[in-house]
Amino acid sequence: MSADLLRRAQQAVELAKRAGAQEVRATTSNSRDVSFEYRDGALETVKDATSQSLAIQVYVNGRYSSHRTTDLNIERLKDFVSEAIAITKALEPDEFRQITPEELFLDRPDVDLDLVDSAVADLDREQRMEWCQTIDGIATDHARVISATTGVYDGSSQSASVSSNGFSGSSRSTYCWYGANVTLKDQGDKRASGGFYAGSPHIGALPPASEVAGMALERALSRLDSTKGPTVRTTMVVDSRAAGALIGRLLGPANARRVQQGQSYWADLLGERAFSDKLTVIDNPLLKRGFSSRLYDGEGISAKVIPIVEAGVVRNLYVDTYYGRKAGMAPTTGSSSNRIVGTSDKSLAEILGEAGAGVYVTSWLGGNADNTTGDFSLGIRGHMIENGQIGRPVSEMNVTGNLKDLFGRLEMVGNDVYPYSSTLSPTLVFADVNFSGT
Amino acid sequence: MTIKRRDFLGTVAAGSAIVTMPGFLSGCGVQAATSFGRNAPVNPFMEWFGVDQATVARVMSELTSRGADAADVYFQHSRSNSLTLEDGIVSSANSGIRQGVGLRVVIGEQTGYAFTEDLTLPSMLAAARTAAAIATGTQVVAPQSFNPLAAGDLYTTTVPWADVGVEQKLPVMKFVEAQAKGKDPSIEKVAVYWADGDERVMIATLDGRLVTDNRPMTRLTVVVTAKKGDETQTGYANIAAREEFSWYTEERLHKMVDEAVERTLIQFEAIRPPAGEMPVILAAGASGILLHEAIGHGMEADFNRKGTSIYTDMMGKKVAESFVTVVDQANIPGERGALNYDDEGNVAGRTVMVENGILTSYLHDEISAKQYGIKPTGSGRRQSYKYSPMPRMTCTFMEDGPHTRDEIIAAVDHGIICETYTNGQVQIGAGDFTFYVKNGWLVEKGKITAPIKDVNIIGNGPEALRQITMVANDARLDTGGWTCGKNGQSVPVSQGIPTVLVSNMTVGGENVG
Repeated sequence: MSADLLRRAQQAVELAKRAGAQEVRATTSNSRDVSFEYRDGALETVKDATSQSLAIQVYVNGRYSSHRTTDLNIERLKDFVSEAIAITKALEPDEFRQITPEELFLDRPDVDLDLVDSAVADLDREQRMEWCQTIDGIATDHARVISATTGVYDGSSQSASVSSNGFSGSSRSTYCWYGANVTLKDQGDKRASGGFYAGSPHIGALPPASEVAGMALERALSRLDSTKGPTVRTTMVVDSRAAGALIGRLLGPANARRVQQGQSYWADLLGERAFSDKLTVIDNPLLKRGFSSRLYDGEGISAKVIPIVEAGVVRNLYVDTYYGRKAGMAPTTGSSSNRIVGTSDKSLAEILGEAGAGVYVTSWLGGNADNTTGDFSLGIRGHMIENGQIGRPVSEMNVTGNLKDLFGRLEMVGNDVYPYSSTLSPTLVFADVNFSGT
Repeated sequence: MTIKRRDFLGTVAAGSAIVTMPGFLSGCGVQAATSFGRNAPVNPFMEWFGVDQATVARVMSELTSRGADAADVYFQHSRSNSLTLEDGIVSSANSGIRQGVGLRVVIGEQTGYAFTEDLTLPSMLAAARTAAAIATGTQVVAPQSFNPLAAGDLYTTTVPWADVGVEQKLPVMKFVEAQAKGKDPSIEKVAVYWADGDERVMIATLDGRLVTDNRPMTRLTVVVTAKKGDETQTGYANIAAREEFSWYTEERLHKMVDEAVERTLIQFEAIRPPAGEMPVILAAGASGILLHEAIGHGMEADFNRKGTSIYTDMMGKKVAESFVTVVDQANIPGERGALNYDDEGNVAGRTVMVENGILTSYLHDEISAKQYGIKPTGSGRRQSYKYSPMPRMTCTFMEDGPHTRDEIIAAVDHGIICETYTNGQVQIGAGDFTFYVKNGWLVEKGKITAPIKDVNIIGNGPEALRQITMVANDARLDTGGWTCGKNGQSVPVSQGIPTVLVSNMTVGGENVG
């Protein structure tokens, strides 16, 4: 199959060259996705999807554009390509728009990232139904349960890229996820809800369905009887599952595009000790079985481990070829892969004990951050920390501050990495955080 | 040459067969081609997708071969274009074509779904069989042909976006950039982002309807970055609609630029409000985000038929003051959230969710409407042929109330007024919702005072509705490019509201003692 994808990508490169492109990069991809959703004792939705697409990036007379289509009929592809060239010619020339140079893709690592489990293609209805029924049976086993929706999602995707200056590559991966969302009767008209899902490229690496179902119910039960907490300045402990999103916000503008456009509080931080020495974030595309592992990025740049922050010092930003050229920065990669956040040997219990009092954040609700200034304000759900223990559940609160300042006050990190994400973070502890509540 | 001759001979033979045995052919399932091919003009949508009535009927028959309460075949072709202006030049364009057909079969609350991007009959039949696999019954009677319903006229364009060249759009973007740059010496960078698209939809349903809709969309965004001393601030504005190129008048562009520049520059003076509970005034327009999050999502009937929404047991009950009326309305010409027909082929009209303070209707798709024993409200929407439809909002707003904006501001001793927003979210079961305020002002002793920025506001849906104590008479829809996400599907929406006072919500802030 990958030979076929490569051949079609090569064909698209040739089509574009004949239509007038000086340089072109073509990517073909296809995927199969199956989902089973099961609710309260019965199968509710089955979806089976196969999808395909072709994307081309063309460089014509110093001009650049990118195009994507799902219509792979060869005659219409010819129209698609010639229209792409025509659009490109109508743009303005830009000296910084150049195809990824050879030196960035020559030394591609030759390692097996272990992203394919052939058993995923062999999954049948009976196996998926068995998981659904196991999870549903456990997730609904409580008197307060109103409804639970169980999901099993599996599939595979593959892609191939070819460029006119010699790049050629292909990739393939599989996935399988299962879990549930549970809704419980709470005070008055309120419903408490929570869920848990586990996933992996390999079916064999998944925790048992029963364990996942138990976690989903437990998560929902922990939300019962929550109330608004106080307006207070105190310690914030962010659990490992919620920490990934906060790391994502921190790194949001840590890239050449934002810096070059004047929209990043990371602009002058390269080489600086900008954050607490407890903060380390490494971008690792070569992690075996990682959710965002890859041998080359979207531009074809060979994958390598890139330290972003080491002990609070900013080592690298995400730099693609275009904005890198514009900003005078050497390219690293324009898109993040697996982000590995530094850990310690402290357990959650030890962390809560040391914190003594504060707010334990288990999930976010809305909110945003200004990439230019780092100012943020986020809705939270979680628990009060009382006498070093997880206390009463709280909700309807905001946490507000500045991201750079916040990560300057990162006081502790845990040993408990949440594994079902491409941001692999432990529990994070911040001092002196502004909470608004009652 | 040999092959051609054989084809020629074959054609003669077939042609003579047609002449001599018309009755036999029509009995063979070609009668759709006869009745429509001769008496009705060729449906341009059928022609576009390369299918005819008989083909669609064949697919529908396969789709319902194991039983169905409802089923639809959803053809979609969409093309989108975008352009980027940064650092003074338009040096990047992007286009996308998505085409496919989604096959759905519904039995009770069960749905089987498959799609294919290959619109040949064998591929569509294979996808239909996959979707049908959820059912375990026997073939239902599928229509032999589909009855075309009248096309809607909410967003008819004279020039489709496909016919508008880059050379026409470039000057508009350059104009916006020049206007913004000239507004203030502190403005260092201006970026302009253009987007347009056409979408063709054709839906054939098990009950024999054939619905077609051409859906244009455009959005223009300007981002302004200004620097004063060591401080940099960024702000933006955008406008969006189901309109054509001529919609971008100079007046509209000037207004957008003015808003972006004002929002950016005011941030140099803006502070964070004090944290905690306080009265919150929502300025007319974009503050409709309150309705979208606090009540709209919770009123989508899929959550209520499953019992997972906080509004599940509130139908017919008083949920707000009598001057509060909240509507979701798709038939507003040209709006981003406007729709002639929903994605199940039902007329998308006006649904009053709260009338004079009483909860009156959920937003229904066909599955929930059947369960509640009522007609669908035309709220079944999907992102594309890749997805099954579900109840969604279109243009959500509150109608005018008895107060004035001045009266509302005068009534607040210590609170804030919110003007622009970036995003919001809601938890359906608990009812907690948030929206992020980009720009606003402190209100002290009945007067607007210092500018504020970057605070999240959090509240609880039913409580916030009860706490709407004043509603002004200045309702308007926001023209911003809002997109609503639910269960992994994004759809364009509009929102609006008059100036309202919510007597108590929790405001994010700093300076906690």
